[in-house]
Amino acid sequence: MALLEVCNLKKIYTTRFGGQHVVALKNISFNVEKGEYVAIMGESGSGKTTLLNILAALDRPSGGSVLLEGRELSKIKESQIAAFRRDNLGFVFQDFNLLDTFTLRDNIYLPLVLEGRKPAEMQQKILPIAKKLGITELLNKYPYEVSGGQKQRAAVARALITEPSVILADEPTGALDSKSTGEMLELFSQINQDGQTIIMVTHSVAAASHAGRVLFIKDGALFHQIFRGENSDTQLYQKISDTLTMLATGGEQK
Amino acid sequence: MNAGFYPKLAWNGIRKNKKLYLPYLLTCTGMITIFYILAFLSENRATAGMRAGNIVQYILSLGTWVIGAFSLIFLFYTNSFLIRKRKKEFGLYNILGMGKRNLAIILLWETLIVAGISLICGLCCGVLLSKAAELCLTNILNEEITLTFSVEPKALVNCALLFSAIFILILLNTLRQIRVAKPIELLHSESVGEKPPKANWFLAILGAVILAAAYTIALMIDNPIQAILNFFLAVILVIIGTYILFVSGSVALCKLLQKNKNYYYKTNHFVSVSSMLYRMKRNGAGLASICILSTMILVMVSSTVCLFVGTENSLKEVYPRDIIISTENTSQPEPIKHIAADILKEKQAEPKDEMEYRELSFTSYLENGTLILDTNSIQNISFTNLRLLCIYTLEDYNRILGKEETLGENEVLLHTSRTDFAESSIRIEGCPELQIKKTVDDYIPDGEASTMFSSSLFLIVPDAETMEQISRIQAEAYGKNASEITDYYAFNLNLNDKKQIEIYEEIFARMKEEFSKTETPYHFQIKSLANERPGHYELNGGFFFLGIFLGLIFLAATVLIMYYKQISEGYEDQSKFEIMQKVGMTKKEIRKSINSQILTVFFLPLIAAGVHTALAFPIISKMLMLFSIENTPLLAGSTFVTYLIFAVFYIFVYRITSRAYYGIVSGRKEDSV
Repeated sequence: MALLEVCNLKKIYTTRFGGQHVVALKNISFNVEKGEYVAIMGESGSGKTTLLNILAALDRPSGGSVLLEGRELSKIKESQIAAFRRDNLGFVFQDFNLLDTFTLRDNIYLPLVLEGRKPAEMQQKILPIAKKLGITELLNKYPYEVSGGQKQRAAVARALITEPSVILADEPTGALDSKSTGEMLELFSQINQDGQTIIMVTHSVAAASHAGRVLFIKDGALFHQIFRGENSDTQLYQKISDTLTMLATGGEQK
Repeated sequence: MNAGFYPKLAWNGIRKNKKLYLPYLLTCTGMITIFYILAFLSENRATAGMRAGNIVQYILSLGTWVIGAFSLIFLFYTNSFLIRKRKKEFGLYNILGMGKRNLAIILLWETLIVAGISLICGLCCGVLLSKAAELCLTNILNEEITLTFSVEPKALVNCALLFSAIFILILLNTLRQIRVAKPIELLHSESVGEKPPKANWFLAILGAVILAAAYTIALMIDNPIQAILNFFLAVILVIIGTYILFVSGSVALCKLLQKNKNYYYKTNHFVSVSSMLYRMKRNGAGLASICILSTMILVMVSSTVCLFVGTENSLKEVYPRDIIISTENTSQPEPIKHIAADILKEKQAEPKDEMEYRELSFTSYLENGTLILDTNSIQNISFTNLRLLCIYTLEDYNRILGKEETLGENEVLLHTSRTDFAESSIRIEGCPELQIKKTVDDYIPDGEASTMFSSSLFLIVPDAETMEQISRIQAEAYGKNASEITDYYAFNLNLNDKKQIEIYEEIFARMKEEFSKTETPYHFQIKSLANERPGHYELNGGFFFLGIFLGLIFLAATVLIMYYKQISEGYEDQSKFEIMQKVGMTKKEIRKSINSQILTVFFLPLIAAGVHTALAFPIISKMLMLFSIENTPLLAGSTFVTYLIFAVFYIFVYRITSRAYYGIVSGRKEDSV
């Protein structure tokens, strides 16, 4: 059984006035196996953020189903959904979403504190992760005292510390400079090699070229997918570019 | 550029920020209205025409100074909120190519608009409401109501000048801030990464020490004069202490909580402690202001209510009978009684509760158990050791109070007021020692002791001879300033005030005529309760009016500070609310956590104000003695009721402003989904 099963997913927004329907997603189906690194690409407005929001249980689908480890997301009660998200999903956002009032350490602890873990246990958990991400020295600093790349590392650490089934990343390199972007993508590959499942939504070909599989979304539907196979990052990069070109020019004819 | 461009831009700026500007405009208008009304009343002829008009006008003109100073501080404070929110807009204008000069012109127009609207509205409201305020005042003061409507040009001009000056100062301050800032700074000034507050232990402890000192002063005071002298010192210390404690003490406390890992890393405490740390740093001053204002409201309203409600009681205390006639230097009170009796008969009035007694009263200084008369020999006179001695004969005492006490030679009965007397005998310098047979609770109601707010000893001596002996001794010691034995004749009348005053005036005239015939000069005095009543009501009523008036203003200020605090916190918390939700907190958890910290932060000032008021209680009750009000239950009651009403109002305001807060916090969420 796949870790994540997305089946005939639909999302229709109804505008507030006039009751017009806007179809954001139509009939999307795909599976993600454990340990996979999947990138989802698409232009602005293609529905990729909607898809991620539904995967993150932040939004409910209009039709179809999402199963995480065999559990149907839409069947989880509203009251339990936050706890579910906390225990099973890790998030990395474009704009880091660190709380200014916390040190990096406390930001990383946040989900654990919400679960009611003991301080000693949290201390034990943070050390290896901080070491792996190279932020051990920075733990007692506040978000505004560190660089964007360092902030994003702290955000990754926060996502990893609950040992989630899936990490959902929304344009994680969108707000970083090219050097930090490179480092961050290396980090994602490394985490993935350690067995962590990652789903990343991105615009960036460079970011996507680190993934094991790339899904392309256009106008709310799954348009194409590329597997890495034996390709190197560079070869994959080329393939993605080609696909994007095709999407932009001849896509309509499909 | 088109001439209408700047005013239009300024007007748009105000309109688009109406959530911020509307309360500001209302505040300015309200302040101007209130200032005008007070200035009007203190200048108005109708007020001046009252019997104690001078005092009332003096009290009110003091009030206008307070309001003026308060307006300056408060409008600066509220304006700083506006500027903080608007800097981003100015930054944008700046980047789009407007020079600082253009910004200054926009700001000038804005100030002109705000000043214009609030001055016009404020003065109009002031003129319209001034009559209502005048009616309130005359009603409180038991005065006749006049129905003419008038405008006081001097008050208008003063008011306009003062507030124009305040607006100019505010504008200059804003321009200074804009001039110093760089455009990028302006653009980001709202979301600038803030340094974590550092705990300043020295300041925190200093604040606690200052507050403790203020409390000690308030509690140590044991007489009214000291209370007056130390009251302002205590007030200033409390204000300083509260500010320091709210600003740095709270940060220190949060830091301490943060250090305790087992406490800090709990779902309930984690978010609230850390955000409170920030909140206190930014809002400590605001909270301290709320606390101080609340305390002022509570103290002012409760004490002036007590003063006003207790007026009748205090009158009875000072004037135990409706008419009190006293004569010095006579051994025959009979002629006085005749005069009074004649006049009463003419007026067909019946004297009731008649009271006749002799009294000798003089001041002495208590040192080492001896009452010293020659105060020149004492260095560093302490007010607390002054004792008023009131001496009566046993005969008068038994007759008036219906007792059957007996006294041997050199024995006395003692009654004490506002003091205790530990010794077993009375030693008056130069007199034989007088054994205290017993201490009694009853005493001849004598108004004088109540008007003197010093501690008094009432001695009942066996006979007139003993009294005369003591009188001779004190006459020797005091020389020219010696007291005389005084005969009192006092009675009640079952008549209305107007008739009582007629009788009083008649007796006064007749006695004056009578005594002018005799050779030895008589000193006589007639007091009429009915005649004194309006004066007391005017004084106490003036304070009451001012207390309520200032109380209302401070209340409005408190509400406004709360509102701005909640609004600004709402904008700050918007993004936090969102992040926490994404990280996996339920809406309920977030709401609970935010609610708990708002509650803590919000109700801290109320609790602190309660503590302040409770500790101010002794000092206030001492000060009220100056107005002959010695009614602890009344003061306690009025304080308690005031606090209760205030607390209910506070909760009401909290509910309204926290709704505004949630509106802001959750409003953004809808947009982003």
